[in-house]
Amino acid sequence: MAALAWVTLLAACATPQTHHLLTYPEGLKPRVELVETPFFAQQEYQCGPAALATVLNAAGEAVHPEELTPQVYLPSRHGSLQPELLAATRRQGHIPYVLHPTLDTLVTEISAGNPVLVLQNLGLRISPVWHYAVAIGFDLERAELILRSGTERRHVMPLRTFEHTWRRGGFWAMVVTSPDTLPQTAKEQPYLEAVLALEELKQWPVAEAAYQAVLNRWPGNLAAQVGVGNSRHAQGDFPGAEASFRAAVTSHPDSGIALNNLAQTLADQGKLAEAERTAERAVSIGGELSTVFRQTLEEIRRLAH
Amino acid sequence: MKALRQIATPMVWLITVSLISLNLNLPNAHASIIGTGTVVSAEQLQQDRTQVREALERKEVRAQLVRLGVDPAQVQERVNALTDAEAQQLSRYFDDMPAGGNGLVGALVFVFVLLVFTDLLGLTSVFSFTKKGSLR
Repeated sequence: MAALAWVTLLAACATPQTHHLLTYPEGLKPRVELVETPFFAQQEYQCGPAALATVLNAAGEAVHPEELTPQVYLPSRHGSLQPELLAATRRQGHIPYVLHPTLDTLVTEISAGNPVLVLQNLGLRISPVWHYAVAIGFDLERAELILRSGTERRHVMPLRTFEHTWRRGGFWAMVVTSPDTLPQTAKEQPYLEAVLALEELKQWPVAEAAYQAVLNRWPGNLAAQVGVGNSRHAQGDFPGAEASFRAAVTSHPDSGIALNNLAQTLADQGKLAEAERTAERAVSIGGELSTVFRQTLEEIRRLAH
Repeated sequence: MKALRQIATPMVWLITVSLISLNLNLPNAHASIIGTGTVVSAEQLQQDRTQVREALERKEVRAQLVRLGVDPAQVQERVNALTDAEAQQLSRYFDDMPAGGNGLVGALVFVFVLLVFTDLLGLTSVFSFTKKGSLR
């Protein structure tokens, strides 16, 4: 019986991610610590606001945990929920990006200079102690992770212990970069969705910078081209929007959406003849949005005649 | 009085005409711009059909936040900053989601002893007085 208990316990001790990282530390420096990362000692149960303020300040947003508390804290739960940390990040005009859930990704972001906000369960499943902290460094030779955590400015934790606590937190991690910089491990589609969430809050200048950053890494991305155009249009910058929609039409001549938005932007500037020709092209492409394309064309014809 | 009316009548006409032309000159600027979301994700095309459901989900999240002691003046802005997917996630799993806050609430003695033991094994990290992994 005791032997069985030990086998069960040892099986539970396995930390495959740490093992993988230490066995194949490809391209990683053996030791990184983002010593400049600010530290906010948490008040009771306030690790969410403290950790969020840490990553926001590191991304250049001067904000105090006390300002974030009314945006993320749940008094009766003595804590903060993940979606609300993401939402509060957007309210500060920054883009939260949830990482691919591996230790490799986490240390890659730290190596690129981005502190990583993590959710840990410091206790056990039967008696959870949920905790947000910010990973700011690692030492592969000593197999350690360095965190800004709770009331400790520099909390050193064995990588294996971290993996256990992080696994119980669902391997959840997020980074915040300044809008014109992409996270090192950002993937095209999930990052666009992260920017879109900010655009929906009508934070146009930030959205424009973020879509531009996407274009710098993935030139010709249609969504980002349309995103830059839409952000500029919403700010009243019609010539800028026109340039962006033209680029979208050039690289994606079959995109009815790009044509439609270009036609509308041309019409907004009184260039009705070209607007009409462009809207006709959108209508001829058709598709699920053909009703909208036709409305645009009719509106332009009404203005022109 | 007559003099006043002589001035007023053309003024009324002038104002009426300029109001009408102002209205005509205002292009229906944003009506025909298709949102970025339509390009990012094809699911956005179905948005109109799901708007009612989303409104209900957000209402549910608002109620939960108020129930858990959030200042009602803050609730609307907190809900507004959520994406549709996040609002849906919260409305469905609110009570099951972990609330990170670093508190060991109401732990029994045996759990306490167990956690000291697992702390020493480096499996957990609850107490600052245990040196992590020292039993391994």
